Amino acid sequence: MPREHLLKIGVSGVRGVVPEFLTPSLTLHFAQAFGTYVGRGRVVVGRDTRKSGPMLQHAVNCGLLAAGCDVVDVGILPTPTIQIYVEHIRARGGIGLTASHNPAEYNALKLFNKEGQFFNHYERNELIDLYHQSDFAQATNAEIGHVTKDEGTAKAVHIDRVLAKVDVDRIRRRKFRVALDAVNGAGSVMTPGFLVDSLHCRLDAISIDPTKVFPRIAEPRPDTLGDLAALVGKTGAEVGFAQDPDADRLAIVDEKGRVLDNDDVLALAVLRALAVVPGDVVVNLTTSAAIDDIALGFGRKVYRTPVGEANVVETMQAVKAAIGGEGSAGGVIFPAVQLCRDSFTAMAFLLDLMAETGKTVSELVAALPQYVRKSGKVPFEHGRLGGLMQALEEGFPEAEADRTDGLKLLWPDRWVHVRSSNTEPLLRVFVEAKTEEAAEKLYATSWGLLTG
Amino acid sequence: MRGDSGLRISHVGLRGIVGRGLTAGHILDFAAAFGTFIEPGRPVVVGRDPRASGRMAWEGVASALMACGHNVIDLGVVSTPVVQHALQNLDAAGGIAISASHNPAEWNALRFLGPRGTYLSTAESGELLDIYHLRKFRFVAWDQLGELRSDAGALDRYIDDLAAVFDVPSLREFRVVVDCCNGTSSLILRRVIERFGLDLVLINERVEGVQFAHEPTTSARMVELQLGPLMKPLRAHAGFLFDVDSDRVAMADEQGRGVSEELMLPLLADHQLSRGPGKIVISNLSSSALLEEVAARHGGRVLRVPVGRQAAMDALAAYRPEQIAVAGEGTGAVMMPQFRFIYDGIASMLAVLTMMKERGRPLGELLSEYPPFSILKGEVRLATPRVPELLLDLLASYPDGKIDRTDGLRVSWPDRWFHVRVSHTEPIIRVICEQRGAPPQALFETLMDKARSYS
Repeated sequence: MPREHLLKIGVSGVRGVVPEFLTPSLTLHFAQAFGTYVGRGRVVVGRDTRKSGPMLQHAVNCGLLAAGCDVVDVGILPTPTIQIYVEHIRARGGIGLTASHNPAEYNALKLFNKEGQFFNHYERNELIDLYHQSDFAQATNAEIGHVTKDEGTAKAVHIDRVLAKVDVDRIRRRKFRVALDAVNGAGSVMTPGFLVDSLHCRLDAISIDPTKVFPRIAEPRPDTLGDLAALVGKTGAEVGFAQDPDADRLAIVDEKGRVLDNDDVLALAVLRALAVVPGDVVVNLTTSAAIDDIALGFGRKVYRTPVGEANVVETMQAVKAAIGGEGSAGGVIFPAVQLCRDSFTAMAFLLDLMAETGKTVSELVAALPQYVRKSGKVPFEHGRLGGLMQALEEGFPEAEADRTDGLKLLWPDRWVHVRSSNTEPLLRVFVEAKTEEAAEKLYATSWGLLTG
Repeated sequence: MRGDSGLRISHVGLRGIVGRGLTAGHILDFAAAFGTFIEPGRPVVVGRDPRASGRMAWEGVASALMACGHNVIDLGVVSTPVVQHALQNLDAAGGIAISASHNPAEWNALRFLGPRGTYLSTAESGELLDIYHLRKFRFVAWDQLGELRSDAGALDRYIDDLAAVFDVPSLREFRVVVDCCNGTSSLILRRVIERFGLDLVLINERVEGVQFAHEPTTSARMVELQLGPLMKPLRAHAGFLFDVDSDRVAMADEQGRGVSEELMLPLLADHQLSRGPGKIVISNLSSSALLEEVAARHGGRVLRVPVGRQAAMDALAAYRPEQIAVAGEGTGAVMMPQFRFIYDGIASMLAVLTMMKERGRPLGELLSEYPPFSILKGEVRLATPRVPELLLDLLASYPDGKIDRTDGLRVSWPDRWFHVRVSHTEPIIRVICEQRGAPPQALFETLMDKARSYS
C-alpha cells in the first residue's frame, strides 16, 4: 500500500496538498522563518498559475512582512524567471509558489538564496531548524516593510540573458513554425512572447490561459502530450514545446509528432552549450552515457551526482560547470543564464542548433550517440532495501559499483541504477545499454535479482 | 511585568503590540477562526487603518479567509465605520476592520463585524474565541478557495449615506478645523470637501503608517492642545479631533476650549431625543449624570450597562432600533440608529454641526445651556486577589447611596456618584467620580486612598 506524502518539508522547500496539509498558517510560519534567515531587505515572491497561489501568497507576504522584509511581488512567472530576478535586483532571496510538475491540488514554497539558487544542504538544515524553533524575527510597526508589485521587468531580464547566448539573427531568419503547450501554467504569460517577439517564430499554441486549470497531467511526458503531438501534425510545425506549470522543465516533440526522450533533450542542450561556453558537465547518476560521449568530443569531463536538482546545482557550482541537468527529469541547467532548470534556455538552444545545422529535430536526435534505456519500479518492504541492493551487487561482481545514491553498477558499454523513491516504498530501476538486446538482458537479470 | 503583555485576546477580538506580543500567526489564526465562524460561501469585507503593520495583518487575514472559501472584498485603507457601512450593501457574511483605533501606532487589532456591520454579541464572540482556541478551521478544497477583489467605491457610498441623513451642503456656513491625526478621517473629509464644498480646515492631514503627529487620543486635553490655539485666529466655529480609524471624535469650541469627552453623548442624546422624544439612551455606568438630566427634558430614559462595547451591543440587541435614541460612552464614542448603531466620529461631527445650525448658536454657547458637572478620573495599579475586598469595604463605607453592582461598584446620590471598576484592557482599577457644580475633590481623594491601600 503506497503511502502518499501529503505534506513534505524537504530538499527544495515545503510541499503539500492545499489547504488541508499545506495550511496558510504553516505557509506563513515558513515564510517568516525564511525572512528571519535571509534578514531584512527585499524578497522576490512569484507563483505559477495554481488556484491556491493567491491564497498562499498572501500568507507568504504576511510572514515576510512580519519578519521585517520588503516583498517584491512579481505575480505569475516561470520559476527560472523568479530566480534570475532575485539575483538581478540583488534581493535577499526569493520564494516561488509552485509545486512544479505535481498535480493541481498540491502547492509548494521553493526557496531561493540571494543568488537566486536553491539553498545548499547546510543552509537548508539551518532554515528548517529555525522553522522548528519558531524563534522568528518579529518586526514592530516602525520596522514593517512594504509590498511592491513589479510584474513587467523580470521577463525582459530573463529573455535578454537567454538571447545573449544564442545567435538570435540566425534563429529569426528561419521563422520557425513552432507548436506550444504551456499547460495553462506560468509559461503562458511569457513563452508566446519569447517565441514570437524575441525569436520571430510562427506560433500555434494550446493551453496558454493562466486563469484556467491544468488541462493535462502537469508533468510533460510522452503519455501526456497527445494534444501537442496532434497540434504538430495539424500545423506542420518543425518542433513542439511543452512546459510544466512553472516552466522550468521542457519536453520536446519532433516534426513527426514524436515526444523526445528527456535524455535526448538534455543531450541536445549539452551539445549546444559546450560549443558556446567553456566548462565541464554535471548530470545525475541516472542520466544517459550519451552525455559522456558528447563531452568527450569537446574534451570535457562529466561529473555525476545523486538525483535531485539541488544536488546537481551544488556540484555545478563547485566545479564551475558549463551545463548540467537531469536526463530523467527533463531539466536543462545553464549557469551562463542562471544556475537553475530553465525551459527557455532549452528552447533557444534547440532552435539555434536547428538554425545552425539546417537539420530537423528528428535528424538532430538521430545524430546523437545512440543508447537504449529501460526503466521500471519494484515495490519493496521496509527493512529489505539493503538486502536487495546487496543481492544486485553480488549478482554482478565484475561491475564497477557506485553507492552515492542507491546503487549504480557500471560496465564500459552499459549500466544499471537502482534507487528508492523519496515519496513511496518503491525501487526505481534504470538500465542503459548500446543495444536493445543488451538492455533487455541487463534489465531482466536485475529485475530477477531484486525480486528473487 | 505580569499582565502587561502586548497581547489581548478577548470578546472584543484580538489586540496587541505588533512584534511584541501580537504576531502574524495570531492574526492569521484568528482570521481563520472568523472565516470558520461565519456563514460559508459569502464574501467578507476587509479594511484597514494606515498603520504600517496593517498591511502585514491584511495579508494574513486575506489568506485565512480565502482558505476558508470566502471571497474577500478589499476596501483598502478606510475608517472602521466605512467597513461597517460597506457590509450592509455588499451582502457579506461579515467583516474585519484592521485597526487599533485610538491606541498608539505600535498597536494593531482585528475587529470582527457581523453581516449588519455591528460588532459581535457576547454569545457570538464567545463562539469565535472557542474556534480560535481549538484551532479547528474549516478550510475548503483547493478548487473552492476564495478570491480577492477590491472595491474602491465604498468611501463614496458611505458619504452618500451620510448625506442622506444630514443636510451636508447646509453646513457650508461653518468654518470647522479638523485634526485628522494622520488617520482615515483625512480621506473621508477631503472627499466631503470635494463633493459638498464644506469649509473644513484639515491639519495632520497626511495619512501616516508609522508616526502620528500625536497620540491618537480623543480627550479634551488633547483637542485643546492641538486645536485650541487655532480656533480664534482661524475664526472657526468648531473644532474636531479624530482617532486613527475615525470611530471616535473630540471637540473644541469657538473659544479654543477643549470640550470634555463626557459631553459628546449628552449633546447627541439631546439632538436625537428632540427628534424622537421618549426614547431610550444606552450608556455605561461610568458616564456623566448629565445624561439623565438631558433625557428627562425630552421624557426619555437612560439605561446604564457595564463598561465595554460588548455590554452596549448586548443591550442594543434587546430593543427594537426605533426604541433607541442613541447609545454611547463617556469617551466620546457614540452610536446612532440612523447609522445602524456603529461608533462613527464623522457622523457625530455632522450631528453636532447640524445642531449648531438648527439652534443657531456656536458650539460653546450650545454647551453652556447644560448645567455644569465636574468629573474626576483616576487609576490605581491592581492587586487582582484583593479587588473583592476593596469593593466590599467601599460598599460598607457608603450605605446611604443607591447601589449598582453590575460592573464593580457604582454608588449614586442625587447630586453626585462614583464608580470603581477593574479595567478590561489594562491591569488597573479605575475610579470615576462626578458631582454637579464643583469637583468632588474630597470624595475622590478618599476613594483613591482606599484603592491604593489594597494595591
